[in-house]
Amino acid sequence: MAQFDTEYQRLEASYSDSPPGEENLLMHVPEGAKSNWHHIENLDLFFQRVYNLHQKNGFTCMLLGEIFELVQLIFVVGFTVFLANCVDYDILFANKFVNHTDSSKVTLPDAFLPVNVCSARIQENVFVIFVLIISGVFWLHRLVKFIYNVCCYWEIRSFYINALKMSMSELPYATWQEVQARIVEIQKEHQICIHKKELTELDVYHRILRFKNYMVAMVNKSLLPVRFRLPVLGEYVFYTRGLKYNFELIFFWGPGSLFENEWSLKAEYKRGGNRLELADKLASRILWIGIANLLLCPVILVWQILYAFFSYTEVIKREPGSLGARCWSLYGRCYLRHFNELDHELMSRLSKGYKASSKYMNCFLSPLLTVVAKNVAFFAGSLLAVLIALTIYDEDVLAVEHVLSSITLLGVCITVCRSFIPDKHMVFCPEQLLRVILAHIHYMPDHWQGNAHRYETRDQFSQLFQYRAVFILEELLSPVVTPIILIFSLRRKSLEIIDFFRNFTVEVIGVGDTCSFAQMDIRQHGHPAWLSEGKTEASIYQQAEDGKTELSLMRFAITNPQWQPPQETTHFISQLKERIHREATGVSSETHPLSLSESEPKSLVANLLAGPSTLGSVHFGRESYLINQAAAGVGDRASALRSLSPISSSLHLRGSLNAAHRTASSHTSAMNKTMAGSGTDARTVSSGSSAWEGQLTSLVLSEYASTEMSIHALYMHELHKQQSRGDLSRHTWHRQESDESSDSIPDEVRSHNPQSRHFPRSHTFPTTVSSPTAIPASASDISSTAIGQEGVPSLGGSHQQYSESATGTCGAGGRVVRTARVPMGGWAEEGQGVARHHGPLPEESSEDEMPPHIHKIT
Amino acid sequence: MNCRSEVLEVTVEARQVEEAILSLLHTILLHRSTGKFHYKKEGTYSIGTVGTVDIDCDFIDFTFVRVSSEELDRVIRKAVSEFKDALSNSGSDGMGQISLEFYQKKKSRWPFSDECIPWEVWSIKVNVVNLANEQERQICREKVGEKLGEKVINVVEVINRHEYLPKMPTQSEVDNVFDTSLKDVQPYLYKITYQITDSLGTSVSTTMRRLIKDTLAL
Repeated sequence: MAQFDTEYQRLEASYSDSPPGEENLLMHVPEGAKSNWHHIENLDLFFQRVYNLHQKNGFTCMLLGEIFELVQLIFVVGFTVFLANCVDYDILFANKFVNHTDSSKVTLPDAFLPVNVCSARIQENVFVIFVLIISGVFWLHRLVKFIYNVCCYWEIRSFYINALKMSMSELPYATWQEVQARIVEIQKEHQICIHKKELTELDVYHRILRFKNYMVAMVNKSLLPVRFRLPVLGEYVFYTRGLKYNFELIFFWGPGSLFENEWSLKAEYKRGGNRLELADKLASRILWIGIANLLLCPVILVWQILYAFFSYTEVIKREPGSLGARCWSLYGRCYLRHFNELDHELMSRLSKGYKASSKYMNCFLSPLLTVVAKNVAFFAGSLLAVLIALTIYDEDVLAVEHVLSSITLLGVCITVCRSFIPDKHMVFCPEQLLRVILAHIHYMPDHWQGNAHRYETRDQFSQLFQYRAVFILEELLSPVVTPIILIFSLRRKSLEIIDFFRNFTVEVIGVGDTCSFAQMDIRQHGHPAWLSEGKTEASIYQQAEDGKTELSLMRFAITNPQWQPPQETTHFISQLKERIHREATGVSSETHPLSLSESEPKSLVANLLAGPSTLGSVHFGRESYLINQAAAGVGDRASALRSLSPISSSLHLRGSLNAAHRTASSHTSAMNKTMAGSGTDARTVSSGSSAWEGQLTSLVLSEYASTEMSIHALYMHELHKQQSRGDLSRHTWHRQESDESSDSIPDEVRSHNPQSRHFPRSHTFPTTVSSPTAIPASASDISSTAIGQEGVPSLGGSHQQYSESATGTCGAGGRVVRTARVPMGGWAEEGQGVARHHGPLPEESSEDEMPPHIHKIT
Repeated sequence: MNCRSEVLEVTVEARQVEEAILSLLHTILLHRSTGKFHYKKEGTYSIGTVGTVDIDCDFIDFTFVRVSSEELDRVIRKAVSEFKDALSNSGSDGMGQISLEFYQKKKSRWPFSDECIPWEVWSIKVNVVNLANEQERQICREKVGEKLGEKVINVVEVINRHEYLPKMPTQSEVDNVFDTSLKDVQPYLYKITYQITDSLGTSVSTTMRRLIKDTLAL
């Protein structure tokens, strides 16, 4: 190997290796690593921790909380064991006498067994030892975790203090948006991410929510087997924490999972070549994990019971009613979650919808139960009254055996009964309630609208919003059911899962592999029926269901006004915002909303804000009153919504209305600057408080953001409803696994409705099919239905035609919404019913088999 | 994850493997090396000089430039010949990947060991082909030379971009950024790893680490 020396040679001359006589030249000053925060290795984990610390309100709070939890755990276990083994209940119940020399009083220590007896009893009892061992392991695990976390979060704490310049004391009052803005800011200085000069908000969200976005997308595309058809219970959603943990274990981080590390999918899963082998591999892994679950079942079960016991006994003791209360189910949280929505954002949204949702569920109290409950309550109440009266007369009554306990029992009985008796002053107005709920939860299947009063809709809603008692029960059952689901349901889906991860993973520079849905790209994943008509190039397989892409995009843009979306997306957002803004202002300038609804495009916001006032229904006055009532019930947020509403644009509210509009406009335009000046003023004026500026500004701002999003969500749903009228709309709600064929439909569900037989299986909630007659009859409704039905055969799938017919009806009556009141689902199903005779639905086929381009490969 | 990664692919004959990889690794290292730092008072330093050498390849029509440091060359050569041996012994279809990873060390608090955080990874995927006759070999010799020339320009382009580099360290931290063990040149801290065959399964240790971390995480 020849070797030529160039003229660029190292100077060997001087000892010090610097040019002789030039010591003073070429001097450099090292920058040094001034901060620890440049170039962080695992940004995913880092951002997650930053977020967690923010959510836990700072280091001290977190530390204290964790310490108390550890102590509580010891206490609960110790106390339970003590109560079970070391107390002589005979003495306590005075069945046995104690020989006391000094006094005849029984003291508490008398009831305790001596230590040696006690420990002998514990040692004899195998079950207690088992429980003790498991809780000991559990506790140790928690302790190690705690110590590890303290070390990690100490780092994060110093990051907050030194880099973000936020002290721990002000952290609880800072919004996440503020923290995030500072992170984006310091990236310029510290380069925590080395790929880019600047971080965007979306990057931060992507990293924190990488796997959650995948889960949301999988639920959205009905990929996860969480819906089951059970013999007695009918359609049932089973999704517990244990199941979720297993899914995550299989997909994201377990041994041999699809992900190589936290940020990248394994290379072989990105290629389509050997997808069948990979699917086999995945299936066998799922099988093994299922078997492992089965073997560990007893341990997990005990753990689960203990866990439930520890976490819920206190709550139940404090407020026994909480078991009858409802909570958002785990499935609901997944179904309702936007892409790129952090936990606290989701929870605040759902909490706002809580009141309306429970009201809605309460509309459906069974009249039979009510009658029974009323009478039971009557008898129990009489007994109770007598006992109490006697006690008041002479308290010796209390000393009679079981009187105190029967008083307590009767009291509980009455409380339970009361929960089955509807409020006397409550009015049955599910449609309005559902709309208020929609304003917060942002997602619902098409066929719910117009069918809110039906029991099926309620049943479906209860899948999202279940009893807490049911939730706990499911958690307890989960160790037994999880392996079954893994082995029998998930395993069959392995090919679809492989395809899903291959097709919907994109590599983003500086972020790694993320779910492509989370990019919120209208062009790739938009749904034509959700405003992205003409903009989307997605095949049906690629479209996100329920307008998830569009709604997520709007929500993200509204909550993160600084975010600079790509060109096309910006266009979409500004177009929609402008549309809504124009309509809102246009309407507000008029005093009478009805007069406006004649000009078609302006009426939408009016409709959705004014609610039924433009529905032209017979119940005009009452309903519009009610929606205000309902909205008022939701909480203070609703007042903001109402202030935007033309209904309340009556003169005395005009001032606040204008302010609110200014808010809206400042959201769209001026928010890019830091909220200051007039924007703040407008907000504070409209919120009616003046002294809360400063640190609360951003809180106020985010409150308005959620209001704005509510309006957008309602608007988009309304538009979607109009757009997809008669469309062959697809109900993700009920898309079933392909392999279950239609024979499993319980006929009794729909036997009352002869039509429904024709409907394809995918719509298992046949509610909507039902007939327009089920809708509170009003002449206009019926007429519009008639128009619609004529339309069906001729429409045959083209959107333009639909819109023509839409304008046609509008022109005729000027009552756009009425046509929209025709049950959407019914339309869809009829359309599909027709289509089905010719063969399987297009999206069903692509869904069931595989994305189109895969066909070529195989 | 928080590191740039660049992938270069080369298709060569068995005897060309060593030179091809050496040429690429040396090219990268040439741009990622500085002269020795000499710290002065007041926290300033001056940088020593670096010489360069032209190397002609025997089996490829190609000449490349490397830092004139025998020590560095020896280290790289050793790693590359190990890779070459592993590749020829593997008996697989002659696929392999050798990575040059630049990293910096970060001091951690007591319970954790020092972290090595990579900031740039160059992966060279090597595909070995067998050629039937001398004429083909001759063509291959030229082809590979051309290809390598392209790659070198590619490397230079990437390096010319203004992207993250560790900040110049103070005297106490210089070991966290630079490899100061060589006496005539000072490259950024680097590590050479290689993998034979395509199956990059997650090793058991990383899975276990992940499992433990995950259970510990909040």
